[in-house]
Amino acid sequence: MPLIEIKGASKGFGLPGSRTEVLKNINLFVEEGEFVVIVGYSGSGKSTLINLLSGLVKPDTGMALIEGKVITEPGPDRGLVFQNYSLLPWLTVEENIALAVEEVFKDWTPEQRKEHIAKHIAMVKLSHAAHKLPKELSGGMRQRVSVARTLAMNPKVLLMDEPLSALDALTRAQLQDEISDIWMQNKTTVIWITNDPDEAILVADKVIPLLPTSPATLGETMIVDIERPRDRKAINHDPKFKKLRAELISTLLDAKGRNKVKSSVQISLPDILPEDLTYTNSLQFLNRSGPKRRSDNKREEVEVAA
Amino acid sequence: MHLIQRFKLDSIILPFGAILVCCLLWYLIAGKSVITEKIDDFGDKIKVTKRAGLSADLPTPVETWTASKLYITEPFAKRGELDQGILRFTWMSLVLVVQGYFIALVIGTPIGFCLGLSKKFATAFDPIIQVLRPVSPLAWLPLGMILFSGVKIVNGDGRTTFGASDAAALFTIAICAMWPTVMNTAVGVRAVPQDYLNVAKVLKLSRSKTLWKVLVPATLPYMFTGFRLSLGIAWLVIVAVEMLTGRPGVGGFLWQQYNANSYAHIILCILTIGVVGYVLDRLMSVVESRFKTA
Repeated sequence: MPLIEIKGASKGFGLPGSRTEVLKNINLFVEEGEFVVIVGYSGSGKSTLINLLSGLVKPDTGMALIEGKVITEPGPDRGLVFQNYSLLPWLTVEENIALAVEEVFKDWTPEQRKEHIAKHIAMVKLSHAAHKLPKELSGGMRQRVSVARTLAMNPKVLLMDEPLSALDALTRAQLQDEISDIWMQNKTTVIWITNDPDEAILVADKVIPLLPTSPATLGETMIVDIERPRDRKAINHDPKFKKLRAELISTLLDAKGRNKVKSSVQISLPDILPEDLTYTNSLQFLNRSGPKRRSDNKREEVEVAA
Repeated sequence: MHLIQRFKLDSIILPFGAILVCCLLWYLIAGKSVITEKIDDFGDKIKVTKRAGLSADLPTPVETWTASKLYITEPFAKRGELDQGILRFTWMSLVLVVQGYFIALVIGTPIGFCLGLSKKFATAFDPIIQVLRPVSPLAWLPLGMILFSGVKIVNGDGRTTFGASDAAALFTIAICAMWPTVMNTAVGVRAVPQDYLNVAKVLKLSRSKTLWKVLVPATLPYMFTGFRLSLGIAWLVIVAVEMLTGRPGVGGFLWQQYNANSYAHIILCILTIGVVGYVLDRLMSVVESRFKTA
């Protein structure tokens, strides 16, 4: 029995009439210990796909299963690493991780928890920054904290939603290597979502393209049988790597040529922002351009799979 | 001249200029006074002040200063129950304001959270809140008097330490000052980023932990904006409350001096109320900026 399974799932958003189908007929099997990467265009439904697994989104038809049980809500057995880190800015690195650990390991003693937290901070090489706030860290460090927080929950599967796409190229390369190393050590099942084909082939056992048809579907699975640990400098000249990359890119490009879809999304934002606190004297207060409101309903054209 | 220097000079000279203009205008309205002495019908010497200005009774800035000097130079003196230094009166008012304000926060913040968290709660209570919000403190006070008419705490000497009028005063301050806290907290809770709520969901945080570790810290900046506005209102209300109940304090002093025809002290009170209000607002915004999270 596969650890993770999605059977015939489809998902759309919006009310009937202005409804957009995002995913259709998704079938996915992930065995325990596998490192699976799903590659697709921005806005093609990758996040929706991973949220089906995390339980933040429920499928319209079909089902998502973990160990044969239907996923209905988020749980600590599926650790989700967010694209935008989602660390709580008022807690230090240690406290952010502690928040997760305290929830999952309620029956542990405080010393056990503390040791567990310290171990995971050390794993992502942030022991020197354990007492810093997220705002004092660089983007790469924040994402490492997020990875540590998720791993500290000892999840059965690590779900990563474009974990590195907000980082610069060099930091991204470094973190790809670090996460690969961590995976080699503990072999947790990983489902990683990315928009970078090179990244996909570099870190994965299996690469699955998410084809930007409308609605999106999963393409053929590609097995990456390149020896680990993979050297990112040498791999560029590896014929296997070149072949896989060409295949992957052409699959994605071909599927894109066939489809285009436009959807319109009504965005309504909460009204009235609080008073701006930066004004230190009444002179500036008088000069301001009036209260800030978000009262306009903005209509935005969003082109999917353009 | 350098820009920075000019800016600094401007920011000092211009406000002073404006103050000077206001004082001149004040002089024009008050006019020059001529004091003559005469013997009244009973044979006593009395002073008669005649004014050349537009207003018959308004004292000039200089007269205001001479009449108020004692209250400012001896700010903590106590010469009698109704004749005390200006800061002593201010302190009495502040103590009452702080108590009422505290009650407002304790009641207002949870209400704000309920409004922000539950759409049903918001729909149910929004009309009531919108109707009660614009009611003047002068209207609430008599209701407070009726509500707490039986309240009486007597100390050892048989003197009432906390009576119906004190309870009514606190009630009025609390209910008037509550609304900005309620509204801002509600807006703040609604504006908590979905990302943080997703984190709480994925980590499976319990309800109380989600509240204390995620919702409250994320809402704090909004809450403190509400707290600051609430303090401003509490300080506005205190004057009205003191006038009506006759409690000693800045507002009570103002009303009593009006009845005693010493108009200079009214101006002293107005300026004191303004300065204290400004200082409170500044203090709160310092606290507020401390709590600004990411």
